[in-house]
Amino acid sequence: MLGGAVVLWLLVNGAFYYLSRVRTGEFDQRYARHILIGGGIVLPVVVLTALLVWGLSILPDPRRPGDGLVVRVTGEQWWWRVEYWPEGADAPVLTANEIRLPVGQRTEIHLTSDKVIHSFWIPALGGKMDMFPGRETMISLLPEKSGTYRGQCAEFCGASHAWMAFAAVVMEPADFDRWLASEAADAVPPSTDAAARGERLFRSEGCGACHAVRGTENIGQVGPDLTHVGSRQTLGAGRLKVTIDDLSTWISHTDVLKPEVKMPTYDLELDQLSDLAAYLEGLK
Amino acid sequence: MTEEHQPRRDEDQKEFAEEQASLFKITLAPLIWAAHFAACYGLVAVTCAKGWDIDAVRFGLLVASGAALCGIGWVGLTAWRQWNVAQTGDFVNRGGRAEDRHHFLGHAAFLLSIISLIGVVFVSLPLVLIGGCQ
Repeated sequence: MLGGAVVLWLLVNGAFYYLSRVRTGEFDQRYARHILIGGGIVLPVVVLTALLVWGLSILPDPRRPGDGLVVRVTGEQWWWRVEYWPEGADAPVLTANEIRLPVGQRTEIHLTSDKVIHSFWIPALGGKMDMFPGRETMISLLPEKSGTYRGQCAEFCGASHAWMAFAAVVMEPADFDRWLASEAADAVPPSTDAAARGERLFRSEGCGACHAVRGTENIGQVGPDLTHVGSRQTLGAGRLKVTIDDLSTWISHTDVLKPEVKMPTYDLELDQLSDLAAYLEGLK
Repeated sequence: MTEEHQPRRDEDQKEFAEEQASLFKITLAPLIWAAHFAACYGLVAVTCAKGWDIDAVRFGLLVASGAALCGIGWVGLTAWRQWNVAQTGDFVNRGGRAEDRHHFLGHAAFLLSIISLIGVVFVSLPLVLIGGCQ
């Protein structure tokens, strides 16, 4: 596509240069007519027809049925609730703010929204699809190369719309299956003293009223599921990295990092913040 | 002065009356294109939204596309005959005479029928290439 655009650009500008600088003066009418009809009518019609035929041939792809896996994504303000439904599953694997897809397989992404209209878009993998409250839309994606791509909400959805992003990780099918199995498992218990203190703080500060950490008494559903937050590539839906520093910054500055976000800012001591961050970072 | 211009106005009116058919012909091909466009987009959208039989609608629209192409082809042919380029080899309608204007209207109608023909082909391509409501 880029190659074609470059050729056309060179052709048009080359013709302009040739006719305005190299071959100046009056033209033979017949010659001029050939240039006008050939370059102005025949060539654009042929190129546009070829592009249209090619475009129409791939147009139905995002509506094709998938190969089995269904990922259900709900747009929230301003994050993504994600459920994985492998073929034949009775219950989903719950996670948030990250989409993982097996390479070479067509995955159906079922989309809906909580309160306002959002739009699901991974530019590297396909077009955008709107997400409506009370309705389900579908786009199926067939990633051809493994890697990490950026996804972004593409419909203005409130103050922090620009901060509603996610990482789309395309993996080899075997790696994907391993990842999904570990994602389905309960959270690992804290492995260090700091993390253990952080876990107690998580409970005492009431974080579990909004966030779920499966395998613990924290079962809140208002905010993102944090069972494996430490294994994600981003924090706060693409806002920060999942490091102890960034986790501390996030907890103590939510309103600055994401205006109008529901999560309150926590005014904790520095060592408390780092304990809490250590616990969350350890939730691999 | 008024007396001098009187016959001129009569001539203009006479010429306009004669060229009414040509003026109508200029709009005919784009009108067929517009009607075909509206029919295709409207019918397919409603059919897919309501869950009607898309195959029947598709067949009907393909027939309509054929009819539209024939109609535009006919307009183009008569316009080509009206434009006397084949006889004179002159692509430019220079003069200000009624005859030149008559040829020019044929010229314009011919070019408009070409672009309308391309438009109808482009709008019809999804009917050929995309079978259903995917």
